Amino acid sequence: MTDWHPVAMVKDLEARKKKAVEVGGTTIALFNIKGTIYALNDTCIHEQRQLSKGAVLFGKIICPGHQWKFDPATGEPEGQEGCQPTYPVRVEDDGTVSVCLERVETPS
Amino acid sequence: MSESIRSIVLVGGGQASAVAARTLRRKGYDGRLTVVGQEPDRPYQRPPLSKEYLGGQDPDECGLYLLPESWTEEHDVEVRTGVTALKVSAPDGGVLLDDGTTLDADRVLLATGGRPRRLPDADGDRIRYLRSKADCDALRADLAPGVRLTVIGAGFIGAEVASTARDLGAEVTVLEMAEAPLVRALGPRLGAACARLHAGADVDLRCGVAVDSVTQRGEEVEVATSGGPVVSDLVVVGIGMVPNDEIARDSGLECDNGVLVDEYCRTSHEHVFAAGDVANHFHPLYGERMRVEHFDNASQQGSVAAQNMLGANKPFADPHWFWSDQYGANLQQVGHAGPDDELVVRGDLEGDSWSAWHLRDGAIRAAFALNRAEDIAVARELIAFGASLPAEVLADDTTDLEEALEDM
Repeated sequence: MTDWHPVAMVKDLEARKKKAVEVGGTTIALFNIKGTIYALNDTCIHEQRQLSKGAVLFGKIICPGHQWKFDPATGEPEGQEGCQPTYPVRVEDDGTVSVCLERVETPS
Repeated sequence: MSESIRSIVLVGGGQASAVAARTLRRKGYDGRLTVVGQEPDRPYQRPPLSKEYLGGQDPDECGLYLLPESWTEEHDVEVRTGVTALKVSAPDGGVLLDDGTTLDADRVLLATGGRPRRLPDADGDRIRYLRSKADCDALRADLAPGVRLTVIGAGFIGAEVASTARDLGAEVTVLEMAEAPLVRALGPRLGAACARLHAGADVDLRCGVAVDSVTQRGEEVEVATSGGPVVSDLVVVGIGMVPNDEIARDSGLECDNGVLVDEYCRTSHEHVFAAGDVANHFHPLYGERMRVEHFDNASQQGSVAAQNMLGANKPFADPHWFWSDQYGANLQQVGHAGPDDELVVRGDLEGDSWSAWHLRDGAIRAAFALNRAEDIAVARELIAFGASLPAEVLADDTTDLEEALEDM
């Protein structure tokens, strides 16, 4: 089974477009980028800074630690190696934002 | 073109060489690739030497080593340590090493970095410099609660060493010649704001102090200053570095405060490149040559040089960027500030999070931030475009700079 965890409402991400939430001990950074909500692990793979305290510019997330630029959908850093974990996001009709920590699996 | 390149030698065991090696392999170069490092250690990065590694983290925790054996084996990169490259000889088509061998090379990168600038007539095993892992290991072994440490120079190295030593319980005094730390890079107003970081950690920062002499007497070191003597158990001197450009000079390459290179990281010899601390590079954004001693500069130039070795013709034209971690604060700057720039402050300089923007003729030249790295991301884009946001927008802490930039 795939567990979806409700973590925020869409309106929480309207004025301020980023937010850190916690699910089962994992801190997740939510970003609202031009109306699409993305979820990434909040701890930068580079040196443990918080992506949720970074900037979003031209569709990329920029880590405040050392200015690494990440693709919000894939977690790939520009010009660097490695990959920031990303999580599936679901938005309900009532505006509830849910994330799933596991890789999305086919239900058995 | 790349088909004719069979062997590349990267001289230097630091960040620029490591990035060049990774870039060459990523871009598909499959010829011989050798990294030559003077130090006994495999290539490592230096930023942790004044911060995490000095503070006691192990090498893996702070990502010290740049080219682990697993990577070099998989990518067929030879790393030769403890050997000094003496000369690049065009007629021999190779790099001469001090062990008597010559490495064939169709392209060469000189990324030899620098060495600490030393105080004259100041010798003794308690008078230290910090550049290499060996320097750091020795210092780390001697920093303990109650140890009296005097740091000469409140630049980035000095401030970071002071901060880490304080964390380890040492009693720290910092001596700075100028009226505030980092005055040359930041100006007096921002320098004064940085001085408060030292004070907040109970570090005795003394500015406007000239050092006359440093003398070790037995187990103590006395620093004679314009403000009287300072006696401590250990002294760390952080007064800048000198580029290691001997190999370039001995190879007949043009040098002046480092190895002269163009915006493609190319030296006066078309097949020899230089990158990082040693490279006095022409920067198109500023229209002048500059030598920059920061990690990101080494990374970017290592990448650009590697691509240009393979025929890419790609300039290094990004604004320079650096960071420092000290006293629990994160400092970042992008661009180059000048003494006559207009200074616009966002936030409260007395507070623990602010950014300061240097404007000239309506364009942003540089921005410096304390615990405000997201502003630096915006500044970086603006500087690269030669653009600015209005001063009143920058000064208004309630505006969303990211939106303001995207709406331009």
